Amino acid sequence: MATFKDWALQYVLADEEPVQRELAQKAAREIESSRASSTVVGNWAASIQQWLTTAHAKDSDQMDEGEDGGSGDIIARAKALGFLADTLQALDKNMLRADQVVRLAGFFGAMFSYDHKAGITASAKALRQLYSMKNFKPDVGVQMVDAVLMIKEDFRLQTPVTRLEIYELFLGLFQDQAVSSLLQHKYGSSQGFIVDLLRLCQNERDPRNLLVWFKILGVLLADYAPSADVTEEIFKTFSAYFPISLKSSATPIGITAEDLKSAVRACFAAHQRVAPLAFPYLMQKLDQGDAVTVAVKVDILRTIKACLDEYDHPQNSVVPFVEKIWNSLKYEVRNGEVKETIDATLDVLRAIANKLDGTKSQKLDVSLLKSYIDIVFKDCRDDLSNPTYTKQAGLLLMTVITANIRAYTLESGGFVECIRQNLRQPKSPSHTRDLLLLLNSALKSRLDLVRNRKEGHPEDEELLRTEPRAHLDALFHEVYLPIWVKKANEPDADTVDVLKKVTQGLALLVSQRVLQPDGALSLLCSGTTCSEICSLLTQSLIKGLALSSNDNITDDTVLEDEAVLALRTVVMSYTDGYIEIASRAKAEIQKRQWSNPSRYSLNALKDLLSRLAFIGCSEIPSRVSVEGKSQKTLSALQHLVTLIATLLNIFPLSSPSGSARFADHSARESSLANAHVISALHGGMLHFRDACASRYQKEVLVAYSGSDRSWIEEFSGLPFNWLQQLQGPDGLRDETIELLREDDPEVYRQYLRLGLFTVRYIYRKAASGSQTLWNERILAQVANITALVVRALDEKLQITCDLAHEAFRFFHAGDGSLEQKPTKPLTELLTLGILEGLRPGALADLYIPGGAAEAFLCNTADLGPFPSRASEIRAAIGAILVNKYKGGPSTCDPESQTIKKVLGFWANQIKVATSSVDIDINTFEAYNSIAMYIFAGAIARQDKSVVQEAVPVLHEAIASGHHNGELVARSMGILVKDNNLLSEENHAVVKRLYKQWAYSQLVRPLYKLALPTGKEADVWATNRYTAAILAVVSNCPFKVYEEDVEVLTRLLIATLGGNRITAGLSKQAARMQVASALEILVQILANEPESLKGHLKAVIGGAMNVHQEASLDTREVDESSFKYTIKPTGAGADLYAVSCRKLTLQLLGLIPSKFEERHLLPYALQLKRMLATASGDPVREVRKVALLARGGWAKVG
Amino acid sequence: MQKSDLDNANPTIFDVSQLPSRSQKKRSVRQGPDSKYDSILFPKHAWPWAGSKTTSTWPSDEEDDDGDDLRDDNFVEEPIDQQEIYDLISTISDPEHPHTLGQLNVVRLPDIHLSPSPAERSDPKCLSTVLVELTPTINHCSLATVIGLAVRARLEQALPPSYRVDVRMKDGSHAQDDQVNKQLADKERVAAALENDTLRGILEKMLETCA
Repeated sequence: MATFKDWALQYVLADEEPVQRELAQKAAREIESSRASSTVVGNWAASIQQWLTTAHAKDSDQMDEGEDGGSGDIIARAKALGFLADTLQALDKNMLRADQVVRLAGFFGAMFSYDHKAGITASAKALRQLYSMKNFKPDVGVQMVDAVLMIKEDFRLQTPVTRLEIYELFLGLFQDQAVSSLLQHKYGSSQGFIVDLLRLCQNERDPRNLLVWFKILGVLLADYAPSADVTEEIFKTFSAYFPISLKSSATPIGITAEDLKSAVRACFAAHQRVAPLAFPYLMQKLDQGDAVTVAVKVDILRTIKACLDEYDHPQNSVVPFVEKIWNSLKYEVRNGEVKETIDATLDVLRAIANKLDGTKSQKLDVSLLKSYIDIVFKDCRDDLSNPTYTKQAGLLLMTVITANIRAYTLESGGFVECIRQNLRQPKSPSHTRDLLLLLNSALKSRLDLVRNRKEGHPEDEELLRTEPRAHLDALFHEVYLPIWVKKANEPDADTVDVLKKVTQGLALLVSQRVLQPDGALSLLCSGTTCSEICSLLTQSLIKGLALSSNDNITDDTVLEDEAVLALRTVVMSYTDGYIEIASRAKAEIQKRQWSNPSRYSLNALKDLLSRLAFIGCSEIPSRVSVEGKSQKTLSALQHLVTLIATLLNIFPLSSPSGSARFADHSARESSLANAHVISALHGGMLHFRDACASRYQKEVLVAYSGSDRSWIEEFSGLPFNWLQQLQGPDGLRDETIELLREDDPEVYRQYLRLGLFTVRYIYRKAASGSQTLWNERILAQVANITALVVRALDEKLQITCDLAHEAFRFFHAGDGSLEQKPTKPLTELLTLGILEGLRPGALADLYIPGGAAEAFLCNTADLGPFPSRASEIRAAIGAILVNKYKGGPSTCDPESQTIKKVLGFWANQIKVATSSVDIDINTFEAYNSIAMYIFAGAIARQDKSVVQEAVPVLHEAIASGHHNGELVARSMGILVKDNNLLSEENHAVVKRLYKQWAYSQLVRPLYKLALPTGKEADVWATNRYTAAILAVVSNCPFKVYEEDVEVLTRLLIATLGGNRITAGLSKQAARMQVASALEILVQILANEPESLKGHLKAVIGGAMNVHQEASLDTREVDESSFKYTIKPTGAGADLYAVSCRKLTLQLLGLIPSKFEERHLLPYALQLKRMLATASGDPVREVRKVALLARGGWAKVG
Repeated sequence: MQKSDLDNANPTIFDVSQLPSRSQKKRSVRQGPDSKYDSILFPKHAWPWAGSKTTSTWPSDEEDDDGDDLRDDNFVEEPIDQQEIYDLISTISDPEHPHTLGQLNVVRLPDIHLSPSPAERSDPKCLSTVLVELTPTINHCSLATVIGLAVRARLEQALPPSYRVDVRMKDGSHAQDDQVNKQLADKERVAAALENDTLRGILEKMLETCA
């Protein structure tokens, strides 16, 4: 006893919650340890006696007088009761016996009658705890309800938190099945306690409490079957809050207005017994006209929808109100302008249709739905012929009719018929357009309904099977075609819109499926109709080729693009269509001479082929049967095969005669035509890859594993024209290709297999074909296709197919035909194509010491006349081969010698050329570029042999007195330049920090050598070193050289300096160096302007100097310096001079935004004058930059 | 400024896409649904791995005689022409309306005159004159002088010193065009106007929209 009393006293005196909680826990443990013996519980309850007795004595004296005295007592009493409540909370819920629960409930319940000031908070809490006790009996619950209701008016004086406790208690009790039935038994249908409750809580304002209160109301409505009067009372209580809003408060409570809205909405939708009250009430709110804001309107509409969705027994709860709802709502759409309200209204109308249709398990009588649709139809029919309302009326009708399958089968015939009639006498072109739009959306909705047919009632599927289709069958010939024929020859904006809609409609029409009696799906349109539609749309496709350039005047390709999209949709369903389109295009192309085509025909050809590839390959076709015409067995790859076969069939469009020189115009144009064919093939492959990627998950494509068999071996058993055979009449029944469904990810593998076959086919032709036909453009495109295919194969397959060796023998192994002809330099592009896509592991075989790679890399023969493309191709291949190399034990090159040898070989070439032998400058340029690319390949991999073999030689070559050293210095940038051959996509080995690594190996040692020494003899070397440094740095990101900015800046300023000494550099080289310096300065200025602050004078002066020099008439430049550098193209424009001017202006323009005005003032005047002149630059692009710079400086001073 | 003070409350406004621009003159490249990969399929240069600028040794074959579309357009020498002047001043905002002078058709391409004409101009250093004739939206526009001043200021800021700028009201477009023209041509008065803080504020606001 004493302990409990002490704890109670400590509890009352304590101010901190943790302390109080601890004391309560102690008490709870004490009760638990005695197994709740009556004495202990009695002692515990009596421990607060002292506060209660004084309270009662005083209360009777003071409360009546309304004095505020004794507030200390009230606080102490509240705390004392809190001690009991907290103990109950901490107590094991199984502990108290039933009689103890009853007694305690009685005690705390009494507080609601006697102690409104101090007792309520703790009592509410204690009652909730008692309710959760194991030995809680339902009749105690009823007592609790009665007791709590006794508080009456003083309820609203309680704090929100206390009220929340009480609400939670009520909610718990009302939701309790046992308590609920006792309550109903006790109060009967009049449910008197509800009325008391409503009175008790009617003034609630606290959002958190409201959420619980609305929930209680919902429970009462749904579970307590209140009488009509009580229902009305409840309805009044919550509808008084509608529409509810929430004042924004400085202290957010985690409840949004949306939460409150949906809580009230849930009350409306709680039970159909409020329907007779709810619908009229909501309608009346809605019909207030302009007084209702959009947000409120949407709230009302959503509430109506919630009611419609939730009420059961629609015959009684919904049907009586349908007409009223419709009459109120139709104007929201017909005359409405706000998208939100229109959408919400349509949702309501759709909800009515769905409610009247029934549920998934139980359909309602069809007459309910029918009479609803009839009302809608009756009201909208006339509006369809009125252009102002066509769209809106159609929208209303469409929403109702396409809400579910039954509605659709009931009325779609009438709807389509109505549109047809109106289309016969349209009021205006836009009327036609709107009507077509409605027709198209009806078709689109039908597609969705058919697709989702399994989700509804089984009856729905049955309805679709027997659906009347006459109105749909007639659409093409009686609606779309006549409009097309009528409009096709009147080119104006309205017509284009109409034709666009027709085109879209045709695509939707072909996509329509019907359900056969046996449950199978087939196409709605007959084969002949599909074919007609296809041919109609194909007309727009080949229009470009068929018309002459004078007749085809319109630049607008909207219709053609629409036709392309439509055809793509068409051939996904009507798969035979693609063969028809392809053969028509082929015939049209072959009708023409392609030996000397005009630019117009070339463009037309390009467009046609590109579209053809897109139509067939950008989606994977699906399998459906066509009525009246048997489609060939379909494979998902059918269209791709058709495209490849067709393109290979027409290639080459013309064979340039062997004697034609390449520069000859006609030969070039015809070669362009041939290139377009290959481009279309490439396009088809790319589109199909994308289609696979979006159809199957990306992971399938990445994780795909090749088979063990070599595809190349399989191919050798196939006829040369396998693809053409596949496309033929027996087509894909061939067992050499598996028939795959569109949803089988194996499709991707088959695509790669077909791709590799195609590549092999082309390689075999190209390697032995004439060089005029297989020119650079075509071969480069072929190489791209190859890379696309090879890249996607996994390493195992690349190895089993022996692609590394095929790269050098072009799939000609064994037949000996290739050996007779010498390989032509450009065919190395084919090698490049394969190597580009190979994974490093698949190349391992090539690196045997003395093997293919070494032989190729150290071969300087056959480079032809210089300068030539051949050397660039070889450089590119070199970069790849060196980059994908892996040496060391357990590889083919255990000593890691091969690449070392190669690097040594090329380092030696440079050494020789820059020291003794007087090698021809053109030859050396080719050698130098190959060597640099080879080094770059190794540098990306951070191969240490570069440091041993190449770097010392390069450093030496730069400073050598030989004139070739300058070229070496200038081209050092290649070593770190971003190169798309060495990309991750191509499986290249690129270390993340290789640029930093290369920079520290190549450039850092040069800084101290590049700084001027003051000796005349060293100028030559320092200039060369500077050139090398700038070449590398200008290709590195700022982060790489960040640490050396200071010394670098000195070099840059020296480079820009007025009296540049160009010893050791040609004039052109010096100017290129200036350009690099400017680029780097722009970078530094953008990233770390502070470092330039001390050098502003030199930078600005230097830049102005450069600009002045670069502005001199470009024709004064010594022509001889162009000998081996880029030649000026265009009207004598010297690209370097122009880019120098642009860069200086960029640099100068950046300065004002980076420094404070006081640093700039000394130069402002001079610069403004210079920039004013510069804004008259002959080149427009430079003028733009000058203008910007001028704007920046205008603000200075 | 109060709404009721507007000289012309309902001017005709042209859509930006209808205004003359340089890009309209270039042949546009077709952009269809199938054009996603055009840059890969129809590359400008057959050789996609063109080496660095230091080693790309020979001009690609395509570039020899192949019209305008293959050359690097950006670095071609082109004299300042009427369109360029138009681009400079058509983006100036109107002092009354939230539209540009181009949209309000105050500045019109055919009313910009260069002498000597760009084609005749051989030496970039020789003196040239730009004459811009403005057409106020209504003929009693009180802000015509301000607009003229803005056009003048913009051109003087943007053109090299060898250009003489002349801004006038188009004949008959303004009730007092003589007077306005006189004001705009009077160097002293222009200079004095530019010293005026209020006026300078208005001009700065108008020129804010110039890129």
